[in-house]
Amino acid sequence: MKAVAPALAGLLLCACAQAADLPIFDAHVHYSHDAWEVVPPKEAIGLLRKAGVRRALVSSSDDDGNQKLYAEAPDLILPSLRPYRTRADVSTWVRDDNITRYMEDRLRRHRYVAVGEFHLYGADADLPVPRRMVEMARQHNLVLHAHSDVDAVERLFRQWPQARILWAHSGFDAPARVREMLRKHRNLWCDLAFRNDHGAGGKVHPEWKQLFLEFPDRFMVGTDTYTPERWPYIVEHARWSREWMKDLPAEVAERVAFRNGDALFGPHPMKKP
Amino acid sequence: MRRAVALAGLVAALTGAPSGPAAAAVVAFSAEEKHAIARHGPWPPPWKRDAGNRHSGRAAAIAFGRTLFFDARLSRDGTHACASCHRPELAWADGQARSTGRALLDRNAPSIANSRFERWFGRDGGADSLWSHALRPLTDAREMAMTPALLAGRVREHADLLRAYRRVFGAPGDDDEALMVNLGKAIAAFQETIVTARTPFDAFRDALLRGDRAAMARYPEAAQRGLKLFVGRGNCSVCHFGPTFSNGEFADVGIPYFVAPGRVDPGRHAGIRHVVDSPFNLLGKYNDDRTRANATPTRHLLLEHRHWGEFKVPGLRNVGRTAPYMHAGSLTTLEQVVRHYSELNEDRLHADGERILRPLRLDTGEAADLVAFLESLSAPPARGARP
Repeated sequence: MKAVAPALAGLLLCACAQAADLPIFDAHVHYSHDAWEVVPPKEAIGLLRKAGVRRALVSSSDDDGNQKLYAEAPDLILPSLRPYRTRADVSTWVRDDNITRYMEDRLRRHRYVAVGEFHLYGADADLPVPRRMVEMARQHNLVLHAHSDVDAVERLFRQWPQARILWAHSGFDAPARVREMLRKHRNLWCDLAFRNDHGAGGKVHPEWKQLFLEFPDRFMVGTDTYTPERWPYIVEHARWSREWMKDLPAEVAERVAFRNGDALFGPHPMKKP
Repeated sequence: MRRAVALAGLVAALTGAPSGPAAAAVVAFSAEEKHAIARHGPWPPPWKRDAGNRHSGRAAAIAFGRTLFFDARLSRDGTHACASCHRPELAWADGQARSTGRALLDRNAPSIANSRFERWFGRDGGADSLWSHALRPLTDAREMAMTPALLAGRVREHADLLRAYRRVFGAPGDDDEALMVNLGKAIAAFQETIVTARTPFDAFRDALLRGDRAAMARYPEAAQRGLKLFVGRGNCSVCHFGPTFSNGEFADVGIPYFVAPGRVDPGRHAGIRHVVDSPFNLLGKYNDDRTRANATPTRHLLLEHRHWGEFKVPGLRNVGRTAPYMHAGSLTTLEQVVRHYSELNEDRLHADGERILRPLRLDTGEAADLVAFLESLSAPPARGARP
């Protein structure tokens, strides 16, 4: 991560940028099979650009959606490999050996910056299929985008202490618990997707504000387009995010809005080494 | 389920309770189920005037509101009245999947019967009072397309309207907006009178509470089994709660909400924005409740991500007479509605949070029972007919 920092200097905007103009790094976008026809790739990319999203971490079930979007806008899309062929795999993937073969195949054929968003709770994290997923992530140096409880996050770190984990929805956990986890794990980042408590009514909740100020480099925003109809919401979500970020110091707002995503994934993560 | 019926018959035989075909047709309900069923009544609820509308319950206002409701002069081109989409003979809906005003609209017209019991009005809850809700179709460019000035002009131009207006509100002043609000309050006063009649379910519910097995047995057995599913395994009564069979809240039940390619109906998300931005909300000057106690829910409204694509949980009274169903009329029969919940596509629901909605996985008989129960919630035509 430290090696990436100097390269990011060119990406930084001036500190006086207003929250209203902030570009967005959207860390939680899905483009699954039922979206492809109703929101075709060109339209999807158009919505991201209209929202002022500069880069987006995208996953899809199955992964073809990812590839369609990446082909349309390689400057914008950061593909993440989900362990799901359809969304129905959400509740069964941890015990399905076919998922391992599916992921191995996709990793042979395409490049990614992360695996996930995957849903993984408690002791399931130590089952063979999730363990193999973590091994693959380590082999390809990929971020783990985990929709998990604290227990599963701890187990993932035990399996791979150097893992970089993006904690989806900040675990839907309370700020105090999120703080505890961030203090404990330097390689843990949080997305704020589908939660409102930090920025309801355009104001940052005091507890969250303390957290953002203590860890200005660990949070990022995300829309969570879990149905096709959520794609137009990307625009509204960006507007909503800029609204509450006005309540943060400009430098912190910039970090949460886009710099942290840029820092975690680097300026050119899809370039072959 | 059928075993429960047989058991009830056996119990009746052993206890000396009335037996024979009528007694055998009573399904056994647990104490918990009886409690849940009791909460769906009594019907009708007691009258309570709307504190935010000083004309609520006034006979003159109700009469004027009835006239206005059926009067197409309240639309820009004189072609549409409120009753165009809320037809008394169609249980105050219009039978169309999506209604047509001056253009094809985005949503199915809900029945306005029992609307006086609601907290938020419209499928998106875009109004916080019945009277302000009446202003929405009046001023929507795709519906009646009026402005305060146009409406005031119509009242002043037509002697019959002016006379009726004076009778209720006194002489109209120069304030067109205030005049329009008064029209909304008269229409609301009329709408408050539209209450569905008692249904076979109500008779059963009351009989169940007083232990009148003979009366209970007059309720079809299939409907009883459906009711048991409704308050039990189906979990339907969590959202379809209380005497109106609605908790008054909003939900995404997995129905797609694209209106056209590239355009979605944001539902409750847009509704909250509308309420908050409206000069006619209960926080504004037209609320007749000086205590503003009725504005508390409005004061606490907060826009959340989940509101995108949520629509109001509809009441179920008269549901058998208000097809088609769902916010855009996408399901044409009650059988289809039940199948939707039976085979619910969980992919469309967010993976986190309280999971009330699960596929019910009903067999054919159970689905038919649930439909039979829903049909038992229909009543003869409601009071408040055309003048």
